[in-house]
Amino acid sequence: MAGPDKRRDGTGSRGSRLLGAGALVSVAALIVLAFVATDADVRTHPTTGEEFGQFDAVRMLYLHVPLAVLMYVAFVVCAVASAGVLLRRTAWWDVTAYAAAEVGTVLCGLVLVTGSIWGRPVWNTWWEWGDVRLMTTLVLFLLFVGYLALRRTTTDPRLQARRAAVVALVAVLDIPLINRSVVWWENRTLHQQSTLAELKIEDLTLFTLMFGFLAFGLVAWWLLVHRFRVGWLEQAATDYDVAIALAERRFETSATDLDAAIGRRDNREDPV
Amino acid sequence: MVRKRRPGALLLLLGVVAAVVFVLLRSLGDASLFFYEVPEAVELRSELGDDRFRVVGTPQPGLVEGELGGEAAVVFTLCAGDVLADVVHLGDPAELFQPGVPVVLQGTWRAGRPPSLTGLDGAADDGWFLRTDHMVVKHDNDYRSDGAQLTLCGTVD
Repeated sequence: MAGPDKRRDGTGSRGSRLLGAGALVSVAALIVLAFVATDADVRTHPTTGEEFGQFDAVRMLYLHVPLAVLMYVAFVVCAVASAGVLLRRTAWWDVTAYAAAEVGTVLCGLVLVTGSIWGRPVWNTWWEWGDVRLMTTLVLFLLFVGYLALRRTTTDPRLQARRAAVVALVAVLDIPLINRSVVWWENRTLHQQSTLAELKIEDLTLFTLMFGFLAFGLVAWWLLVHRFRVGWLEQAATDYDVAIALAERRFETSATDLDAAIGRRDNREDPV
Repeated sequence: MVRKRRPGALLLLLGVVAAVVFVLLRSLGDASLFFYEVPEAVELRSELGDDRFRVVGTPQPGLVEGELGGEAAVVFTLCAGDVLADVVHLGDPAELFQPGVPVVLQGTWRAGRPPSLTGLDGAADDGWFLRTDHMVVKHDNDYRSDGAQLTLCGTVD
């Protein structure tokens, strides 16, 4: 029975479209919560009456912290999938690792940018060389940019997957350093300690921060799904190209064999 | 199967490696402590000599703002626990600079009495002062309306 072709042209599906719509609505709601609904961080000293705090700069909290945590998640997914590449050696693990690495690198770049924008009014500096948390995060970003570059240095997919998996497993060791740096090197970092671990946050501020995790979590998930599907299609296209090339080679070989065979027969029939 | 090399990607990879090395070298260049606490800076005063170093502490109330040599300056006393150090900071202070909020300062020890010292309450007045020109604020992690307090000399007021 003839009917409309229901094959997908792109990487979208009903589920991913719903996910994307949810991500868009959540980010819009987060912007309203972070920049309109919540108050600026203005505290009043109980005895002197002086105002202090981070004032409007505190709104960066709702972007920076969720992006940082989701960056950790993306890179850990990449590391787990990379272990899968080395143990199982299947394309599924490699495509997952690649997709997670790309999403994690984008998130890491955003963490550095939002941190810098937050740092300027609150710390009085865009960047501080020698600050252990800033430096370890920058190193993580560069390691994963290197991971992505490494993947493009060879066209051999198996070699690409194995090399990248090793780099990812080494790079991800930087994550505990980043996370614990504010505790282990307290006198080497300007960066404040974890707010959530000590639950020094409450009410609408806490709700907005949690909502930030949801909103950026949906965005990251949507990106991961689509990047995985693109990677899978690339993989299928490569396999298809390889199959075509093999078929052509077989055909060439057969034709050569045939020619040779014909030549031998010709030689037998018509010896000079 | 013939493995194709991609020179552009290889150059990018080399660029990334160079960037990582640069970052590590910049970090290792500051391999000494990122900052000293005020008591450490006072204790190591003779060793530090004319070296530039970073120090963290809490500005005391009663700072004096003015001009020194045509440049904006603020004179105040930095403290940690019961150890004090007088400071002459040249240049505009940080936006969120105020007594009770810890700062990290960069500069050198200078012998002598800082100018405008008489305007300060509870100055160290020990014949030394820190002459600094770089100030960053070390903010706390408390976002509760009644959680964070201004810190005065290591005590929560």
